[in-house]
Amino acid sequence: MPNTSPLTPYPVTITKIVDETSDVKTFTVVFDDPDIMENFGNLPGQVCMLSVFGEGESTISITSAPTRGKFLEFTVKRVGRLTNVLHQMEVGQKFGVRGPYGNWFPYDMMKGKDLFFVGGGFALAPIRSLIDFALSDQYRSDYGKVEVLYGARSMDDLCFKSDLAERWPKLHNTGIYTTIDRAEEAWKGHVGFVPSYVEEVAPSPENKIAIIAGPPIMIKFTLPVFAKLGFKDEQIITTLEMRMKCCLGKCGRCNIGSKFVCVDGPVFSLAQLNGMPKEY
Amino acid sequence: MEARIVNKGQLSELLDKLAKDYDLIAPIQEETVTLFRKISGAKDAFLEYTNSDISPKGCFLPQNEKTLSYMYTGDTLEIDKPEGAKKTVLFGARPCDIKAILTLDPVFEGEKFGDEYYSSKRESTVIIGLSCSKVLSTCFCYAFEGGPCDGTGSDLLFTEIGDKYYVEVNTEKGKALADAYSQIFSSQGADQLAKDKEELAKKLAGEFVRKVDLTGVKELLDKNFELAYWSGDDQKKCIGCGTCTYVCPTCHCFDIFDYTTGDFNGDRLRCWDSCMYPEYTLCAGGHNPRPTRKERVRNRFMHKLKYHLDRYNMVGCVGCGRCVKKCPVNIDITKIINDLKEVAQNA
Amino acid sequence: MMDVIQQLREQAKKLLEEKKVDLVIGFGQGTELARTTPVFIDSPEGVSKLTWGPFCANNLAKYLTDYKNAPGNIAVVVKGCDSRSINRLLDDNQISRDKVVIIGVPCSGQLEWQKVAAEIKPGASLKETADNGDSFSVKTDAGDYKFDKKDYLLHRCLVCENPNPVVSDLTIGKEQPVKNYEDRFAEVQALEQMSTEEKNAYWDKQFSRCLRCYACRNVCSVCTCQICVFDQMLPMWVSKRTNLSENTAFHLTRAFHVAGRCVDCGECDRVCPMDIPLRKLNQKIHKDLGDLFESPTPGTKPGLASPLGEFSPGDPEEFM
Repeated sequence: MPNTSPLTPYPVTITKIVDETSDVKTFTVVFDDPDIMENFGNLPGQVCMLSVFGEGESTISITSAPTRGKFLEFTVKRVGRLTNVLHQMEVGQKFGVRGPYGNWFPYDMMKGKDLFFVGGGFALAPIRSLIDFALSDQYRSDYGKVEVLYGARSMDDLCFKSDLAERWPKLHNTGIYTTIDRAEEAWKGHVGFVPSYVEEVAPSPENKIAIIAGPPIMIKFTLPVFAKLGFKDEQIITTLEMRMKCCLGKCGRCNIGSKFVCVDGPVFSLAQLNGMPKEY
Repeated sequence: MEARIVNKGQLSELLDKLAKDYDLIAPIQEETVTLFRKISGAKDAFLEYTNSDISPKGCFLPQNEKTLSYMYTGDTLEIDKPEGAKKTVLFGARPCDIKAILTLDPVFEGEKFGDEYYSSKRESTVIIGLSCSKVLSTCFCYAFEGGPCDGTGSDLLFTEIGDKYYVEVNTEKGKALADAYSQIFSSQGADQLAKDKEELAKKLAGEFVRKVDLTGVKELLDKNFELAYWSGDDQKKCIGCGTCTYVCPTCHCFDIFDYTTGDFNGDRLRCWDSCMYPEYTLCAGGHNPRPTRKERVRNRFMHKLKYHLDRYNMVGCVGCGRCVKKCPVNIDITKIINDLKEVAQNA
Repeated sequence: MMDVIQQLREQAKKLLEEKKVDLVIGFGQGTELARTTPVFIDSPEGVSKLTWGPFCANNLAKYLTDYKNAPGNIAVVVKGCDSRSINRLLDDNQISRDKVVIIGVPCSGQLEWQKVAAEIKPGASLKETADNGDSFSVKTDAGDYKFDKKDYLLHRCLVCENPNPVVSDLTIGKEQPVKNYEDRFAEVQALEQMSTEEKNAYWDKQFSRCLRCYACRNVCSVCTCQICVFDQMLPMWVSKRTNLSENTAFHLTRAFHVAGRCVDCGECDRVCPMDIPLRKLNQKIHKDLGDLFESPTPGTKPGLASPLGEFSPGDPEEFM
């Protein structure tokens, strides 16, 4: 049975706001009607349409893993009309959410394998759901080592600081590598761009899946590094971003060739992307 | 298949009755332009048209449609949806435009996501088609297995034969309507007119002047996204307006935005949008995957000739000829099809 | 017309061969007998695509700004009305004079293609056209036709101000007589006679039909803003909703935005898929500018100041 009212958003209330950086915030929300969360069934990698009434809708990836509880987290950068207003909202205020939309990371295919995540800047958000999913008590035994290599321009641009510095390193069989582009006095960690750091860490392609998200320029220079390390295109997974209005494959604009990113994506393997027009 | 006869003299009576019992949408003429609007009776209808300037797709996908209204009242947020569609008759749609509705169906009535707004109108509307009596120089429905007297997709199809309409009853919905007005839809002598209709269809089929042959085009586009052809004159002369997409009966792209009507109240609207506009694909961060007219022109024609086929197994064009006629700079999909065919042959 | 076509091709060929230009923008046969389409020719072999006749309605000066930053020079074929756009684009610093070769063709009017197409046997192909003064002959492989100018010309051509290009580097074809139309503003005057309520009703009816496809804006040779206010998203001045209030806001803003710069080429009017008589809006402004400031139609001379873009301390405005 198709969902006949997919354009209808459901009211949510903001329960927590974390300032990640000066222009990135993570909003934790709960549905006003708990039944909706019960049946939401979001999987890591999926997206939602956020409604700020009076401003419209925006497609935002679900940052939280379903394993973490009966809530949703959205990490939002202030870049446009809707996100400007969202950033002014406070705990207790309401907006609307509909979804979940799109495909998800192929977590079944990844079973028994090591996972190597690469994130740049604010774009750790769409893969964080899978990191937490794989690290959850429920599914941890399905996966091998979980490593996260994350870079940002400066210390001030680092998102998910507590995950990177405290929560994830404490968990069993993880490796967290954080870098910033240019040296800063207070920074004791690695300095350098993401692609060269990947080369330095040199993950082995053996029984490993790389999951990459970041600005196009970072992806462009990181992919050849993975190829050099011996990763096959099937072992590299990424997630795309496009302008969307309906998220249902109807409004037309997020197509890459015959595929709609909103329903056939946003998650694609490099092997899949190689077979698609370069129009993203 | 069942058939009936309606005397032309009784058409006014039928339209007046339909307007009373249903929301009746029919072609009207406003100054020089023919479009589909809700009418109050036969006097408003304009049936001597060849093809309307704007297709009747708006019956199911209006240019402006309210999808919900919202209201903040203190601590609560209320979301109301508009009522479902009223009983409607779409009268006088041409065969190509009815076929266009069939190409919209799989978009809005998908396996995973339906669309209550579209479906509610689709279900509550009886489509009465009107065969063409003339083929225009811009017409090419035959290239997509359509025809000037093709009833595919209609509930009833009217064909003008002398002083009568030969009426084909194509669906149960159509039959129910014909039965409800049985004093107008007569069963007597319909068989004799069947032959006349067939002859008319045959005569009109010979009047197409545009040669359109899709052989090899899809295969070429399947294999080639980058073709030198797309850097040619079409993208140079395109002025980037939305005319082709707005007059197209199969274009379905839309935008969704909010329209504030009070301090904390407003409507959410879905309105036609056009892939020819630069901001159509512009992301909030400033990135645009189709930044120039070349990508946008290519996307429009790839959508018509390949993407729609890939997804729904239907060509995204019905040959109505509106974009051919209305394009300010004479970008012509039939020329593009034929040019691509040539590219395929020379490849 | 055949000799004009021949000369056009020769001149274009010469310009390309001598590398004086990299591109020639002209008219080519369209996909309907009575239509031409813009052609972009970059090699001497391509000049056979060029044509000329009574079906060359498009204002090709529109495309010059597309090549503003392209290396090399561009030649463009213009009629009298289109040539006003060139003066205007030069005055607005949108194009540089030394990068453009203007091929002017005197014009005795352009036919409305739909009206002509309705008369001609579908599928016929064009052999030749000729100007008989009051009419055009159109010879086709399915017979010969004659179209009286008074019935078949585009509205704008019936009161043409500049049948001859006002600026050009080379002129092809013979000079056309200039007529002084006393009733140039007849349609506007008729509108002016209406009461306010009647005018409102008239324009409300026209504007409510608008699809907001923006063909009128996009075809306009003096609409040169890089991001149009109507495309802007932050703030969004008008939405994509089509209703009377937003449609009216669009059309009136547009008319005033080009006031004093509109060269009256009539393209907005020609391309409207809903037949909204947009030129009447512009013409009203032209008429008022003439009455108030004695200002000629923009673009008729180079270096004409925009009547609404210039002031001097001697202006008789009371607030000064």
